[in-house]
Formats: sequence, structure tokens, C-alpha cells
Amino acid sequence: MLQTRTSTVLPFLLIALAAASLEAQTIDDGSLMPRRALGTGFLYAHESWSQYWEGSLKRDNGNIGTFTTQTVTWVAGYGVTDRLSVMAMLPYVWTHASQGPLHGMHGLQDLTLAAKYQLLSTPFTDRGTLRAMVVGAAGMPAGNYTPDFLPLAIGLASRRFSGRFTLNFQAHQGWFLNGSAAYTWRTKVKLDRPAYFTNGQIYLSDEVAMPAVFDYTVSAGYQYGRLSIPISLSQQRTLGGGDIRRQDMPFVSNRMNFVRADGLVMYTLPAPVELGIRVGMSRIVSGRNVGQATTLTGGLFHTFHF
Amino acid sequence: MRPSLRQSVLAVALSGAAALFGCDNSITSSEALPPLQAASLDSGAGSWGMIFLSGPTQFAVAAPAAETSAAYRAELASIKSTQANLTDAQRRSIEYWSGGGVLRWNQILRELVARFNLPPAPRRDGTYPVPDPENPFADPQFPFANPPYASRAYSYVTVAQYEALKTAWYWKYQYHRPSPARIDNGIAALMPVSDLPAYPSEDAVLSGVTVEMLKVLFPAAVALITQKAGEQRNAALWSGKASASDIAAGLALGKSVATVFVARAGADGMRNAVGTKTQWQALADTALARGEIPWISQESPPRPPMLPNFGLVQAWLMTPAEVATERPPAPPSTSSPEMQQEVAEVRQTVEGLTREQLAIAYKWNDGAGTYAPPGHWNDIAAEYIRDAQLSEVRAARTFALLNMAMHDAAVGCWGVKFLYFNPRPGQLDPSIRTVIGLPNFPAYPSGHSTFSASAAVVLSYLFPEAAPAFDAMKEEASISRIYGGIHYRSDIERGKEHGARIGGYAVRFAQQDGAN
Repeated sequence: MLQTRTSTVLPFLLIALAAASLEAQTIDDGSLMPRRALGTGFLYAHESWSQYWEGSLKRDNGNIGTFTTQTVTWVAGYGVTDRLSVMAMLPYVWTHASQGPLHGMHGLQDLTLAAKYQLLSTPFTDRGTLRAMVVGAAGMPAGNYTPDFLPLAIGLASRRFSGRFTLNFQAHQGWFLNGSAAYTWRTKVKLDRPAYFTNGQIYLSDEVAMPAVFDYTVSAGYQYGRLSIPISLSQQRTLGGGDIRRQDMPFVSNRMNFVRADGLVMYTLPAPVELGIRVGMSRIVSGRNVGQATTLTGGLFHTFHF
Repeated sequence: MRPSLRQSVLAVALSGAAALFGCDNSITSSEALPPLQAASLDSGAGSWGMIFLSGPTQFAVAAPAAETSAAYRAELASIKSTQANLTDAQRRSIEYWSGGGVLRWNQILRELVARFNLPPAPRRDGTYPVPDPENPFADPQFPFANPPYASRAYSYVTVAQYEALKTAWYWKYQYHRPSPARIDNGIAALMPVSDLPAYPSEDAVLSGVTVEMLKVLFPAAVALITQKAGEQRNAALWSGKASASDIAAGLALGKSVATVFVARAGADGMRNAVGTKTQWQALADTALARGEIPWISQESPPRPPMLPNFGLVQAWLMTPAEVATERPPAPPSTSSPEMQQEVAEVRQTVEGLTREQLAIAYKWNDGAGTYAPPGHWNDIAAEYIRDAQLSEVRAARTFALLNMAMHDAAVGCWGVKFLYFNPRPGQLDPSIRTVIGLPNFPAYPSGHSTFSASAAVVLSYLFPEAAPAFDAMKEEASISRIYGGIHYRSDIERGKEHGARIGGYAVRFAQQDGAN
């Protein structure tokens, strides 16, 4: 009956984008907070799309128009030691469709906690330093929001645990290369209804199995003093799940895949202000069961030393 | 900090994270059905009142060969050799079908409705294609199993099953041939085998009648349908429940009974339910002439209304005159203060929605891509049928009564919807948006309320101890449509009253059918 059918990229963007913002430390980069330094701040993101992939079919939808997601995320990172940082983030999300009958939603999404540990930091050739990091991250819904109204639902409501490995080369002249890959396990989610149809069969159950997700990011950039300019290409692959059926709504366990390009500029004002400023833009290049989103971000962060 | 401490901090962080993650990610995809051991054989079911057939002898079943005949002995020997070499797949198939053929086919039917309950996508020029039964595999697929289509499909399958099983019961007790496992000690009973005579096999009757109905209703699913039907017959054979000749006679009977229902389905008015552009315009013009605001599709591009002539489809238990007599009165005028109050209630409800109300809206949404509201009530009934361990024929009666009531509720409700052609709340107040989905047909009266009230009346008659539970479900399903922002209070109240009256026809039939 309802013909408003689209898809969202939101739940996974949040991890990468919100994280990719913390002064010089994110979940998937190759750097750490200095020992006993606390960086914290807020990131605003404006994501919008007017086309999406229904399975592999790219389309628009008059019952959605332009879909907008706005997010304000609190982020924090703390250097426990010179080799170990811990991070936290918590987004508040608003969704809105410019056309059609569907009501937007808003609310606190998922709390993510992460620990990043530096396995290795060593001079590599005579040009720079090679670092290797492992990150463990866990996410869980901060509230009791529904995941069953995509694309307007504010998230997917599963608990997640991911393991990540990152390799980073920082040249003495300022440029750097970074590669990072993660595997994310997701717990099943509970719906408010007793049955659902996905991936070619009916499930007479209110529980939905969530396929695992693999993602990787390759980035390169230039860091000179207080300025850092990374650009990156990321890919997310959901390891299972069904496609959005023809003219159907997206579903929480859909196979949501995408390739995304990101560009960022980060600058830290000198002491005593020590305010980190960041602006960024990203664009989905290709996808499956996601919207072709363009995202603009801006954030302010402050570092405290103890 | 010493390395050991660093590592322990990391370990604590990681294990804390891991604790958030539950290990078990498996989902049970189906309702659990224990092996059916019927509480009663219902040996008199051959004389229960018929709905559409003239009687149990409308289709004759020839006498079986004697139990001492060489032909029958060979059938028994064949079962023994099969049982000696059963594969795991064959054992799983036996276990699956031992849950009861009527309940299993009901699950499959719900799956088919969910699979086909998707509206056509718009063309580039802003028009919509109509699903074509002559070309069911195309885009759009046929059918669009929306609520009226689904209610009709559930009713055809379950009524045909019920009539076929009553006929089978009649002939079973003419011939009294036991199950192979009862005749021959060397044959194991791999699913519960009772004193119910085996000829003709009820499993084969069900497979034959169901496959023929489903091929007409869901032609693009023919591969799944025929595979399941074959499995069901094989399970009856391999389990020692029925012999090859029990099954052949049952299959032939089931297919024969289906022919009269297929013929009825071809002439019940469904083929005209989509209507024509002229008719769609006339609906709006008539409402305007009465001084009312006519319903307008809120979809983009605007979509023709869903099955505007479904109200003219033949009902099961009501004459066209009775369908007209039972209709509720007109809704409040779209320009009345009463209607303004009703719009305001919807707006305030949606804007102040609690999480509990949202959960109720989703629980009963049953929108596109689902088994539809009639499927939800079949889902509910299936649990009571399972727990009561009803015989196949009594289970079929339960589903038939329920689904005739809901089909007639759909006919009655659609007739009223297109008589008044009343706008949805979001049309009268564009600030009202929905948290579920917006059905593409007029508001008054609420289909959910009509379906649910008819279903609750029938199920309360059949399972009186659970009447309060059915009533509570009916109330919740109905009010969920205000939470969803797509119905006014009067849609729901008049819908419930209308549905209850229509359900009464099925109850009165059941009171006199000889099954009590």
C-alpha cells in the first residue's frame, strides 16, 4: 500500500564520520591521543539523497523526495597511555523526507565505545614512521528507538562489536597513508511485529538476524603542524541479507553496501585556545540498498591536558 | 604504566564490548508445530454442512482394493523398503508435515501473500501498470496481494480445503481402510497414525485441492507450490500413514473439488475489481455532488485507488442485499465541526505518540510486503488450532469460518469505502504524517477494524475461553490506525460494528453446520 521505499546509509556512516573527526584521532586512523589528554566536542552532519538503490536498481521516489538526516554527535577521546586511547561517541539523529506522507523521526541513536592500542611504531625507511593499531569497538542503542521504519528510523538498533586493524605511514615531510579494515558482528534485533518477509521468505518471528559487516578505508593526506587534510575512499560490504524488493520498503537486515569518497580539513587553533575545527564532505559513489548520500560535516573539539 | 597494566585495560575494554554481543544469532523462521495428535477423529465430519458443494457425494471416490489384494500388498512392501532407506531429507520432510497439513499450508499461504503483497512501481510517465494474470512473472508481478486480494485468497484456499476434507471424511467412513502402519506391523508410524481411515488420504486431498487453488491465486509461485504438495504426499507415504492408492484417491478428489472453486473464482467479480478510469472519476464526482471533499491519492505520482469495485465481489455467506443492509451509516461530513474534531484528535495523537503506541502501530501495521491483516488473524488462529490439537477437518473448518468472515468483511468494507470516498486525515490536514504507511484508498470505515471485529467474533465463538483475548486484540488492532495517523475515530468505531455484524453470519452458519 505504501509506496515510499528507500534506504539509508546512516547507521554506518555515523561510525566512520563521527569518529573521523576527533582532532587527530579517529577509530580508523593511525594516531593516538597523547597520554592524559582528553579531546571532546561535537560534530554536526547533514546527509541528503534523492536517489537510492533498490537492490541494484537506482531510482528516485516521489514519496520521499529528498531525504535528509541531520546528526549531532558528542565525541570524546582520552589517552590512557602513549599506546592506548579510549573513545566514546553518542549521536542524536533527525530524519526527514521532503515529500510524501511519512513522518520523520528523531532521538538518541547508539553509544559507541572503543579502545585503540598501538602495536607498533617504528621508523620505516628513512622517510617516516610506520604504525600498526588494533581497535575494539562496541555499539549499543542508547534508547528504545524502532529500526522498523527505514529509511526514517534513526538506526538499526542492533548491538555491534567490531575488530579493526590499521596500518599507517607518516612521512617526515608531512604526507601520510592510512589503511584500515574492520569486521563487525551484529546481534539480532527485535521488532514490534510478529512476522516479516525478507530475502525471499517469511519469518514468523519478531527477531531479525543481522548479517556481519566488513569495511575498509584507504586514505592519504597531508599533515603539517596544525593542519591535516586527509582524503579517503571507503567500502562497506554487508555479508548477507536480502535486497529491497521492487517497490518495497528497506528492511533492517538488508544487504547495505556502498563505496564512499571523503574529504576533510582539520585545523587546530594554537594554545591557549586549542580548539580543533573540522569541515568535511563525503559522497556515496556506488551502492546497494542505500541512498546516494552527500554529507557535509562540521565539528568543534577541545583538548584538555591533565 | 607497565605493559601488563596497559594490556589489562585493553582486555577489560574488549571483554566489556564482547559482553554486549550475544552469541546466538539464529532465528526460528516458523511457528513450531508439534506432531499432530488430534484430540478427536471427528468421525462425523462427512455429514457436516457444506458451504458451496451440494454434499459429500458431489464427488464420488471409488472403492479401494481389498487389504488382502496383491496390489495392496505390493504397496505395503514398497513402503517398507522406502522406510528401510530413509534419508535425512525425507525424515525432515516427515517431521515438517507431521505438524498438520492444514496448519502448514496456512503458513505457506501467509508466506505467498507476503511475497506478493507489493504494489506496482510507477512507470516513467507517471502511470502505473496493472498486474497481469496472463503474465505473472513480469514486472509488476501478479498478483498484488493487497488486503482485499489476500482476504479473498485466504478464503478460497481454506474453504476449498474444508469442503474437500469433509468429502474425504465421508468416503473414509464409507470404506474404513486403516493406515498401512495399522495393517502391517512391519511398517513404522513415523508420524502420529490414528484410527482415522486412510482411504482417501487427507494429506493427498489437501495437497491436491490446495495446489490447484494456489496455482490460480499465485501463478508465479507454481514451483514452490508443486514442490510443497509433492513433499506432503511423500511424507504421508514414507511415514506409514497412507499407501499409494490412498494417496492417489485423495489427490484426485482434492483436484476435483478444486475445479468448482476455481470456476467460482473466475466468476465472482474479482476481474472487474480494478475498475476503469471513468469509474474512478465518477467516484470523485459523486462525492463532490454530495458536497463532500473526495478522496485523493496522496502518492506521488497519484495512484489509482485500490480495487474500487471489490465491494461487488461475491461474498461467501451474505447475499448482495445483505451486504447492502449491513452497511454502516454515512461518516461525518468532511465540512462538519465533528470531522474537524476527529482530524484534531488524529493530529494530536500522532504528535504526542508514546513508544508503546508506536509499538502497537507497528504490531498491527500489516502493510505492504506483509501477510496483510487477514494473515495476521490467521497467524493468531493458527496458535489456537495448534494448541487445541484440532483434527485436520476441524482445523480447516476454523480457518474457513474465519476467512469467509474476513472476505465478507473486505467486500462489505470496500463497498462502503467507495460509496463515501472519504479522505484520509493527511489529506484534510497536510501536517498529519504517518509513522506506518498510507493505504491508497478512502478512509471510511477502517479495514483493520472491520477485519479484526469479524475475526474476533468468529474466533470467540470457536474458542470461547479466549474471547476476552480476541476482543483485546481487536481493540488494539483498531486503535493502532489512529496511532498510525491514517484513520479517524469514527472510521474505527463504525468499522468494528460493521465487522462484528458480518462475523455474525459465519457464527450463525457454524451454529447449524452439525459440527458442534
